[in-house]
Amino acid sequence: MLYFSEVKGKKVLTEDNVEIGKLDDLIFLASTNPLITKLVVKNKLQEEFLIPISYIHKMNKDIYLKKGFQTNDLSENEIYINKNLVDTQIIDLKGNKVVRVNDVAIQDKDNLMVFGIDIGFLGILRWFYSGEAIVKTLHFLGLKPAPKFLSWGDVQPLELAKGKVILKKNEERLKNLRPEDLADYLEKTNIANTRKMLKILDKNLAKEVIESFNVNYQISLFHTFKSDRIIEWLNLIDDDEAVDILLTFSKKKRTEIINALDKEKQKKVLYLLEYTETAIGSLLIADYMTVKPTNTVREVINRIKKETGDYYYFNDVYVVNDMNQLIGVFNLHELIISDIDAQVYKFMHQKLILLYLTTPKGIALRKFLKYRLHVLPVIDFNRKILGVVAIDDLSNLIKQK
Amino acid sequence: MFKNIKTIFSKNKFGNSLLLFLAVFGPATITAMSDNDAAGVATYSLAGAKFGYSILFVLLFVTILLAITQEMGVRIAVTTGKGLGDLIRELFGVRVSVFIFFGLTLANLGTIIANLSAIKVTTQMFGLPSLPFIILIIIMSFIFVTKGNYKTNQNVFLMTSLFYVAYIISAVKTHPDWNLALRSTILPTSIHLSRDFVFAAIAVLGTTITPWGQFFVHSYVIDKKITGEKHLKYAQIETFVGAFLTDFFSFFMITATAATLFVHKIPLLSGEQAALAIKPFAGELASILFGLGILNAGFMGMVIVGLTTAYAFSEFFGYEGSLDKPFQKSRQFYLLFLLQLSIAGVIVLMPSISLFKIVFFTQSLNGMLLPVIFYFLLKVTNNKKLMGKHTNNKWYNYFAIICSFIIIIAALFTIISSLFKF
Repeated sequence: MLYFSEVKGKKVLTEDNVEIGKLDDLIFLASTNPLITKLVVKNKLQEEFLIPISYIHKMNKDIYLKKGFQTNDLSENEIYINKNLVDTQIIDLKGNKVVRVNDVAIQDKDNLMVFGIDIGFLGILRWFYSGEAIVKTLHFLGLKPAPKFLSWGDVQPLELAKGKVILKKNEERLKNLRPEDLADYLEKTNIANTRKMLKILDKNLAKEVIESFNVNYQISLFHTFKSDRIIEWLNLIDDDEAVDILLTFSKKKRTEIINALDKEKQKKVLYLLEYTETAIGSLLIADYMTVKPTNTVREVINRIKKETGDYYYFNDVYVVNDMNQLIGVFNLHELIISDIDAQVYKFMHQKLILLYLTTPKGIALRKFLKYRLHVLPVIDFNRKILGVVAIDDLSNLIKQK
Repeated sequence: MFKNIKTIFSKNKFGNSLLLFLAVFGPATITAMSDNDAAGVATYSLAGAKFGYSILFVLLFVTILLAITQEMGVRIAVTTGKGLGDLIRELFGVRVSVFIFFGLTLANLGTIIANLSAIKVTTQMFGLPSLPFIILIIIMSFIFVTKGNYKTNQNVFLMTSLFYVAYIISAVKTHPDWNLALRSTILPTSIHLSRDFVFAAIAVLGTTITPWGQFFVHSYVIDKKITGEKHLKYAQIETFVGAFLTDFFSFFMITATAATLFVHKIPLLSGEQAALAIKPFAGELASILFGLGILNAGFMGMVIVGLTTAYAFSEFFGYEGSLDKPFQKSRQFYLLFLLQLSIAGVIVLMPSISLFKIVFFTQSLNGMLLPVIFYFLLKVTNNKKLMGKHTNNKWYNYFAIICSFIIIIAALFTIISSLFKF
């Protein structure tokens, strides 16, 4: 993850090292999918060029553009990060002032995209050359200010073009949210609200929202449904998720539900359930390490040196919040290439592939193969990490069977 | 402008106009009156005691300069609907905002300390125990600000402003030479242009036109929700009324010490001692009223300057900050107000702290901030996109720039002179 304050002012050069100017701003689509589309580069004469990001050759300390890059104009629905978003007042639907936009977080994996709005103290400090020194001093004093974000899903993109950052906090507008953001929002409300919301949402969006809930919430939600509603939703959601949910019901109720499912779905579910006889709990190993999001690379490396010498297999470091819930992961390669004083939340992956104690072996194996991973974390329904499972142990067990 | 005033108060519309004027009345007058805080009273008293009626001529200029600068502030606030902090953050970014906010906070803290210190000295003169009195006044100020809404706060500030009448009675009791006083206000009379006179004139200017005054008038107009074309001209008139009223009362403060201490050549070492010093010449009532006036000015200055920082914080960093919002919704705003008063209270009660150094530091910081604030004011009032048809016209702009230059030079002069004195 990058911050706008970190990229603003970077030198922009051509592949053959000819300086064009400095990055003054970024342009993005004011939509639910806020892709960054253009760089705004200012030369020494203060002339402004809009360059599509497809011309970026590489971006590290400086930004290098491909040879023969072309400039472009502002298109419809495009707005500037610095000019239109940074420093703007954020207000809620009732017009109450909430806070200002201190910085903008940019996702730099795959596509460049606005990820969220930094509304915290760190977002202000980042604009100062001495900001990092202040953060280090605070760390030294035992104070660890954590970043404070507003998800892009909480912002009304259409209002941005009018120069306003307005939060969306009523039901009608929630339909425009991304499913995962809506799931996050609904998890914080009560189940009754969630049921009401699922009823009014488009079926496809509702399906994605259900799939984005954490498993604990999914189970609580399904246990409040009547049988016909359970069957309706199970027919829609992913097979793996459906099996996870079915396993929480009694055998009698489970059979009753499975019998009422669509024939195709019934077949897939029964096939997956065959692999549920052995729980993966017996494969759990404790060779894993957790860190806090505000730990620096230096601190993590020091801990790895001290604590992981006798680990059977070690490649991933898991990030947990103050409640010990798993919130991110990064591998050793990502750790080593990051700045030694960078905090891990800046480069950790937040989209996690997880196993639960109830996850059938077959499903676990499919997850290993699908995502080409060697080790996966196993969590409980409170998202607390219980241990990790290695693909070698799992495949040996399946082979023995 | 005068043509406008004439139209507004024409016979047919008089009643309506008066109502509209009363509807917008408050922010500019309160801001201007609070420029006569305890530090202001001390400065006027010292100037009057040392230079007599001759220093009154400075008041005429100060009134014009105050009116011009306050008018720009009110015009910006009514037209844009934003406070000075909002505009600085949105136009100049977070780096500039953080520097200005910290400078303003420190300078304001110094001003609050000066006001609380004046309250402490005055309570001691009246034989009251300082410690409980200061704690009580801080708690009462916090309750008054958090529990009351904008309207109650404004009414209390206006009522407090009425207490300045005490200075009129005090001045009358000193039996001044009214003819000479009035003549000295309009025409330069017996002015000896010494270095000390220039310093005193600048000190009078510096105590009246302050960075916090510029911030407060913006924020208070916004908090009163004065918007729209029809209110603007009345709000502008109010700035002139406010500027006049402020220096109207300053006139009596100077006159009281001029008629007593200057005439009898009694040196005054500290402004706060003026209440006691005039007693032998003007009697006990005048002395008590003068002292009560300082207490009142100290309270008003302390609360308003404290609110200024809280308003500025809300504007710079985008939090809810309004006297109309309950504590739960404007927590940062109210807590910052309390924090400033508490820190100032602790410092004032510490015997080892040099208040002279704090006042020097505050003056210097205000002096450094003032040119920057005027730069922002002129930048915004010349921004057509923001101000539309209310952008400064050419002549007003020249006048505003000249006024700003005078204030800036005066501010710089104060810093340099303070450095030499220090």
